[in-house]
Amino acid sequence: MDEKDKADSGLKVAVEDLGDISLVSLVGEVDVYTAPKLKDAINSLVERGRYHIVVDLEKVVFLDSTGLGVLVGGLKKVKSNEGELGIICNQERILRVFRITGLTKVFPVYRNRDEIPTKERERQDAG
Amino acid sequence: MPADSERCYELEIPAKAQYVSLARLLASSIARNMCFPEEDVDDLKVAVSEMCTNAIVHSGNGTVEKPPILVRYCTGKDYLKVQVSDRGPGFDIGCVLNRERTDLLEKGRGIPLIQCLVDEFQCDSEPGSGTVVTVVKYLRPRENPS
Repeated sequence: MDEKDKADSGLKVAVEDLGDISLVSLVGEVDVYTAPKLKDAINSLVERGRYHIVVDLEKVVFLDSTGLGVLVGGLKKVKSNEGELGIICNQERILRVFRITGLTKVFPVYRNRDEIPTKERERQDAG
Repeated sequence: MPADSERCYELEIPAKAQYVSLARLLASSIARNMCFPEEDVDDLKVAVSEMCTNAIVHSGNGTVEKPPILVRYCTGKDYLKVQVSDRGPGFDIGCVLNRERTDLLEKGRGIPLIQCLVDEFQCDSEPGSGTVVTVVKYLRPRENPS
């Protein structure tokens, strides 16, 4: 498998800034092969000083503990900068992995994109 | 478990990350062919992915030339058994199974996750002798709508 195949296979990652929040949209599978692409995207945001990140998992068809590990690593980084890392997910097959590992208690979980501003407002109001 | 009625299929993959999806794909194809419910197919995919990932990571993840990983799928009347064997350095399984997780953010989610997703889990490993992980998922009886 050459470098182009490696870049195209498995997982597509897109990043956009929505005000204070950076949205990382994923399409495909997150496993030991593709997770480094997600890790790179999160690390780049942190390096840019973007500490409020939401990862959209709605178009993710598979995620295992390697993907969880990358998200947890990102969460630790943004928390150390008083930020937050949440996920958008309404798919039971993906949420199940978060639930079993107890990580639904750790990540803010949004059911869709429309919930992000609402939750963010609540967070700001509470603060 | 009546081993004489088993049909087994073997997949040998290089100990490299890009081949984990192949092992997952074969697991899901066999499980769907056996009419496992879709949520159980998803559970098997995650379990197989975790098993192969562990085998590959412990075998060097392609950074050095390592022996391939053997994935063996055995189907019985009401179960699918998947066995992943590596010839990596092996480890003390007791350290992993008996470790109490107090911090949700610490590493080591793979094996507890596998244990939650399958009906039977067995890991045979010793330092220096490679590792064989076996899981079994049973077909649940279909519920009759009444």
